[in-house]
Amino acid sequence: MRLGLAIDLDTCVGCHACAVACKEWNGQSLMGGAPDYDAYGKAPSGTWYNRIRHYELEGDPTYSPHQCGSKADPSAHQPLSKTINVPMSCMHCEEAHCVTVCPTGASYKRAEDGIVLVDPSRCMGCNYCAWACPYGARELDQDEGVMKKCTLCVDRIYDAQLAEADRQPACVLACPTHARHFGDYDDPQSKVSLLAASRGTQSMLDDLGYKPTNAYLSPRKPVEVKTELPLRQGLSDKAKAFVNRLIQL
Amino acid sequence: MKPALSVIFFTVASGAGLGLLVWLLVASLMANHIRMDATTFYQGAAIAAALITAGLFASTLHLANRKNVIYALTRVRTSWLAREGAFAIALYPLAALHLYGLQSGMPQLTPITLGLLIADCIVVLYCTGMIYGCLKTIPRWNTWMTPVKYVLFGLMSGAVLLPAVLTLRPVEIGPVGRPMVAIVLLALGLVLYLTYLVKNPRNQHTINDALGFQQGKVRLLDVGHSHGTFLTNEFGFSVARDKARLLRWIAIACGFIVPLILCYFSQWFWTASIICLVGLLVERWLFFAEAEHVVRLYHGQQRV
Repeated sequence: MRLGLAIDLDTCVGCHACAVACKEWNGQSLMGGAPDYDAYGKAPSGTWYNRIRHYELEGDPTYSPHQCGSKADPSAHQPLSKTINVPMSCMHCEEAHCVTVCPTGASYKRAEDGIVLVDPSRCMGCNYCAWACPYGARELDQDEGVMKKCTLCVDRIYDAQLAEADRQPACVLACPTHARHFGDYDDPQSKVSLLAASRGTQSMLDDLGYKPTNAYLSPRKPVEVKTELPLRQGLSDKAKAFVNRLIQL
Repeated sequence: MKPALSVIFFTVASGAGLGLLVWLLVASLMANHIRMDATTFYQGAAIAAALITAGLFASTLHLANRKNVIYALTRVRTSWLAREGAFAIALYPLAALHLYGLQSGMPQLTPITLGLLIADCIVVLYCTGMIYGCLKTIPRWNTWMTPVKYVLFGLMSGAVLLPAVLTLRPVEIGPVGRPMVAIVLLALGLVLYLTYLVKNPRNQHTINDALGFQQGKVRLLDVGHSHGTFLTNEFGFSVARDKARLLRWIAIACGFIVPLILCYFSQWFWTASIICLVGLLVERWLFFAEAEHVVRLYHGQQRV
């Protein structure tokens, strides 16, 4: 098994619900513990397993066929016209260098399902694994002095006491737009495999060779709205064209 | 990267101690030629041991959970950090064995332990370099020059310390000659450092690679946290360009040029050693402070 997440960059609205749900579940779990520091003070900080960042894309014409700003050159790059929200947690890489560099053996990758975990009873808090992670997935728990990271809710997904539908990571269950999916990438018929295959995925620092398991589904290309009149116009075509002209003013 | 003072002190002090130990052992092979007496050898060995041990203790200071340090040697098959620890600790029984051979008159033992000690010192220096050199996430470190730099700078600072130690020997043995090993290594070190400054890999990855959007500009809109995080604290450190330039000149002058001049034209070997170590401390500080981790791309930096 190769368990991982598929995160839809198209539907993610950047609400941080996944991060809050993660904190809620893992803050009190056996594997986790995600303390806050100075939570209500002047410089609130904390250990999070999942962080959401927001970016603006300039003008990739594939993602923004509608001209905005200058209309002079339709093929030119548009101004920063597309916002994407990127939640980022442990990618459970196949070539997890964070595990290789760990001197104590506290970091390990499970053979049976590929989940990368930290054994807090062995970790000496040297931060070396965090240095080896390109995705910033590992954060030190400053109360316990050990490294913490996404466990893929390993204490949830195998819990037979939970209903079948609830045996998923907390972030997946919390997502209000269903932008997060959980499954087995080794199974070509699993939901995440099918989504990754049909939607295409973003290559994130693939040249480093870590082979991340999590996939970021590429934003869909928007449907282009044509403003020219079709050859044979029905009444509805005329109405659409009229509305489109109004919008394009 | 955040320049952790404990790690900077560790790499410079242990490096100099290991280098000094190597050159003391080499010198003991030709003790008649350079006329080194046993007391001077032991004084030098004590200085080397003090530097190595102080460095190793300092290296544990930045650990957040020191009670688990006992596990740190269990992954020598994969981790350069574990290898470094294991080989560094192996120095002590080897040194004890060497001392036993010297003291109890087992002359057949000493050539073996001497060879093993020299090899182990160089392996420890190499492992320290590879701790940093193996990280693909930090392009500036991920070059063959990093381990070579650690080995060469260790041997270099040790070679500057050796004539200083030799000045401790009795007057009747005579003055110390011109320390050609130190002079040659200082020159080589200067060449390597300048090469590293010019050729170190940077601007290897862009924010476009980090997010997979290759066309057009990508820019951070919001980083998602209101104050510092572990990641910004650990990887967000930046050094002002003017300050870095000044420190680089200090590193070049104090680390290499001034000790070279002092070794060539004078007998002030202790002064040369201390200036060299100060220069190397500055160099090591810059090594950490100027290194850029690829996670900075996700925090909005355009290139790393």
